[in-house]
Amino acid sequence: MRIRDLFLSRRYSLFIFITFLLLFALVLMSLRAKQRKGMEFFDALLMEICSPLQKASTLVIKTVQGTFQKYVFLVNLERENRMLKQKIAELQEENHRTKETKLAMDRLKQLLQFREKNSLSMIGAEVIGQDPSSWFKSVTIDKGERDGVKKGMAVISAAGVIGQILKTAPHYATVLLLTDYNSAIDSIVQRTRAKAIVEGKGENRCQLKYLLRTEEVAVGDAVVTSGLAGNFHKGLMVGEIKKVDKKGHGVFQYAELTPSVDLTKLEEVFVVMEPIPPPPPPKEEKAKKGKKIKK
Amino acid sequence: MKRFVPLLLAGILLLILQTTWLSFFPIQRIRPDLLLIFTLYLAFLFPPFLGGILAFFMGYLMDLFSGNTLGFYTFSRTLVFFATQFLKERFYLEGFSFQFLFAFIFSVLEGGLLLILINGLEPVSFGNLYSSLFTFLLPQSFCTGLVSPLLFFLFKKGTSLLFRQPEQGIKAGG
Repeated sequence: MRIRDLFLSRRYSLFIFITFLLLFALVLMSLRAKQRKGMEFFDALLMEICSPLQKASTLVIKTVQGTFQKYVFLVNLERENRMLKQKIAELQEENHRTKETKLAMDRLKQLLQFREKNSLSMIGAEVIGQDPSSWFKSVTIDKGERDGVKKGMAVISAAGVIGQILKTAPHYATVLLLTDYNSAIDSIVQRTRAKAIVEGKGENRCQLKYLLRTEEVAVGDAVVTSGLAGNFHKGLMVGEIKKVDKKGHGVFQYAELTPSVDLTKLEEVFVVMEPIPPPPPPKEEKAKKGKKIKK
Repeated sequence: MKRFVPLLLAGILLLILQTTWLSFFPIQRIRPDLLLIFTLYLAFLFPPFLGGILAFFMGYLMDLFSGNTLGFYTFSRTLVFFATQFLKERFYLEGFSFQFLFAFIFSVLEGGLLLILINGLEPVSFGNLYSSLFTFLLPQSFCTGLVSPLLFFLFKKGTSLLFRQPEQGIKAGG
């Protein structure tokens, strides 16, 4: 059999096709790992196509949810009281609308106060979708590159840190949540100033890594961002220590913390647009530079 | 192309459903993997070339909308598709118990494969993931298995509406 016939036979072409697809998937993995530009463009394009549908779907869910909440308790009223029922329904609806407005107002007021209190330049965004897989923790937001959102930017709320921008498209972006296994944020324990890395642990939990055994930390201690590495400004609330374990031996102790933000109920978030200024050069270098200028 | 586009749109629709409607369930973490069931269905009723590309694309979409940085699903979904293609001659996709078991087993196997890939390729420690085998992977696979008979039925109906006969894809494609 000639080589050409070998490739043209259905059995072999199928085998080649399977191998090609699997290899291509592996090549994609490698390209993603190297963060190639071409990949990002294709990702953004697909995201732009799918996210509007996601946004519309979320809107429908919210409407259905609202309607369900408004009318679910009104179905068992008697016929004779139809007029009364209608009145009650109207009042209930109004009441629910007012409550919903009040809740939204409270939430937005809280966000506004937080924004005013912090001098950071931020942009508000709405969460329009959750992670399709249960292994990873991310959400899709309705702000993207056109709004100035860039990969790696910090995402926060009034209650504290949420995560950071993982992928961007012109109008949408994916946020890697604090609780994802891939997430790591340089932090400090507020009371003792002990340094540690907050790593995601899935669910709604995180753990403190590289927390020295000699450091005295207790349950209930607040953990805030250190502002040293990454894109998070100093002093942003990360969470509260829930469990400390010094058992066993080693240099480090184990501590678990609950994020200050309930990441399962995210609706609105802030993307911090301001990059952290680079750390000042060491004093010696400064002095040397000063001397050179004087000379 | 005539067969590819509607199936692709169906896949996108399922992804939207998975990322929005299913996320509003009370137990958010444990929810059926609709795209996995769709991939299994494609493997049973569609030719390797058309179905393979679709499975690849379904995986790509999963990667795009998840916090997964490297893109494991593109690989795992393609592999699941061809593994099912290989096994399809030996089974009939009929009956609740078979459909349930098939989806359940593939969900567990894919979870296992993901664990291996994550552990092997990601720079961070994934020791905690192993504990999720019982707290999350098995319940999630069970949930996927439970939903699969209903979805297989709906997919079959949808395919027969789109292509007159679901088998048309097998014979005509390739």
